[in-house]
Amino acid sequence: MSLSSSQTLTISGQDLVKNGSRAPREDARAGLKPSTPTKKPQPPKPENAITIAVSSRVLFNMEKEQQIFEQQGMEEYIKYQVAHEAEPFRPGPAFSFVKALEAVNTQLRELYPESEELFDVVLITNNHAYVGLRLINTINHHQLFIERFCMTGGNSPIGYLKAYHTNLYLSADPVKVHEALGEGIAAATMFTPEKMTEVSETQLRVAFDGDAVLFSDESEQIFKAHGLDNVFLELTCFLHEHKGDCMASFSVFVPQGPLKGFLEVLGKLQKKFYAKGQRMDCPIRTYLVTARSAASSGARALKTLRSWGLEIDEALFLAGAPKGPMLEKIRPHIFFDDQMFHVEGAAEMGTVACHVPYGIAQRIPRKGVKDKETSQTVK
Amino acid sequence: MVSTVQNSDVRQKDVDHAVVVAVTSRALFESDTEEDGDGAYAAGVAFPLLQALQRVNEQLLQRNPAESLLFDVVLMTTDSQQQQSSRFMSSTRHHGLEVTRFCFSSEEDFIESLLKNNIQLFLTTDENEVLQATQKGVPSVLLDEHSAVCSSEQLRVLFCENAIIRPSSDPTPASRQAAQSFSSQLGKMRQKFGMFDSPLCFTLVTLRGGKDSCCGALKALRSIGVSVDEAYCLAGAPRSPILSLLRPHFLLSDGFSNLDD
Repeated sequence: MSLSSSQTLTISGQDLVKNGSRAPREDARAGLKPSTPTKKPQPPKPENAITIAVSSRVLFNMEKEQQIFEQQGMEEYIKYQVAHEAEPFRPGPAFSFVKALEAVNTQLRELYPESEELFDVVLITNNHAYVGLRLINTINHHQLFIERFCMTGGNSPIGYLKAYHTNLYLSADPVKVHEALGEGIAAATMFTPEKMTEVSETQLRVAFDGDAVLFSDESEQIFKAHGLDNVFLELTCFLHEHKGDCMASFSVFVPQGPLKGFLEVLGKLQKKFYAKGQRMDCPIRTYLVTARSAASSGARALKTLRSWGLEIDEALFLAGAPKGPMLEKIRPHIFFDDQMFHVEGAAEMGTVACHVPYGIAQRIPRKGVKDKETSQTVK
Repeated sequence: MVSTVQNSDVRQKDVDHAVVVAVTSRALFESDTEEDGDGAYAAGVAFPLLQALQRVNEQLLQRNPAESLLFDVVLMTTDSQQQQSSRFMSSTRHHGLEVTRFCFSSEEDFIESLLKNNIQLFLTTDENEVLQATQKGVPSVLLDEHSAVCSSEQLRVLFCENAIIRPSSDPTPASRQAAQSFSSQLGKMRQKFGMFDSPLCFTLVTLRGGKDSCCGALKALRSIGVSVDEAYCLAGAPRSPILSLLRPHFLLSDGFSNLDD
């Protein structure tokens, strides 16, 4: 019988005597007989991969089950899930995004078969493992390549997000998103549009708002008062004024927004395609969709990006015009904005839009959009 | 020579229905140090685990005062500590530990003592004792300093796939059977609590295989009456960041998984 205390994964008496050391063997594969030849590739190591963590409610449509949870409680919810275990969920708002990530991976693998710089989608959910079989059945049904998941049974996902070096966390629960942002993890609350416009299956398209998403909005406020050169000086003063505010401390040393890092990794992957001559039909395309006007603030936005070594494929300056129609033309798989007004506007026109609750003035979004907030949100 | 003394301070359990857990005196107490004045030993690495077991019992009895499926904890000690036996008994009382019996034996006879007392889980800090007990089919856990920082409020049991902890020879049918029946007992206990605030929490971790191996493990556990609360499928990701978050009191690996990847 093999048992062990908490950290050391050893055990069987004979192994202990033979090994002496109790350090877990990292490459356990080495000594074991190989499994049936896999047609699927192995997932990359988390430190090499671009990890996208999604919750169950954004990956799949669980509206009905969510309703049961809210109205009838946990026990009924679990009973329902288990009773419908063989019934796969329908796709949720993050589904097409995940499929597009997989398409990019396929193309990356063709060009760079040895590289582990790939997207790794991890399901991180608050759900109890009772729902596990239904989730796994659904993943199989839709042929998604998701091999890693954490079903935390109600515990906070934050530690697991960190353990996986998560580059982007998408959840339907604004509280968790807020918490993740506070820990320095790029995160956004995803909403479900009434109807979802069709998106490309071969080219991943990601659209960003500028302020408080790519750029910190404090820097914008300070620029308006004092001019770009003084931004760093003013940010230090800003921190002193708001000593207790974690959002201020997040942005003080670099005036960048929480999604800047994600744009950066997308750019890195794009360069890998360019290196193989795929600039014109790159499988990844990025968009800046901002309410700024092109003239002054727009130019500044582009200069800032350039100073960070980042490129964006298309910059759309709407000078205050609504974003919905423009996004409807672009058809991104995902759109990030810090203002609920824009998120709602985009969702109304069929774009999968995510709210980035960043910036001093942010509050948890109100109900009314397709977001189920409860204190015990099951995700 | 093997002998047993009952602890008159503690209500004896129904041995036919209880889950008997043995802990060694070295795991339970720090015999090198003394608590001030009293002559009682200080708490050892097994303390939080024992307190967690006690909390499960308390909660079970709260729900059903006539409950017989409880943890029955016995203290085991071997020859070299015979002089200290009364100290162990008084230390047990001093800390208010729910230990029903004290089992004394020589080092040579301690396996006999385990078998005689029908031990279903053996907790020790001694690697050799784990080795010997395991060979005789008694599920055994090696405790160490990590155990000392586990929760004393909730017993956290980790089910982990067999393949990673592969011994050089296959587990004996007896040990597999013992592991299974122990897991089933735990599963029955867990069913007596709801989804929230359970003093007992089961976690499944699959280290190497992907979702299909996790799926198989979930089904295999379910077939022996164990429904896990949390599940983590690592598919080759480094295990220590995840394990350090989980902080299980102990791991169970045989007896439920027959997947071989």
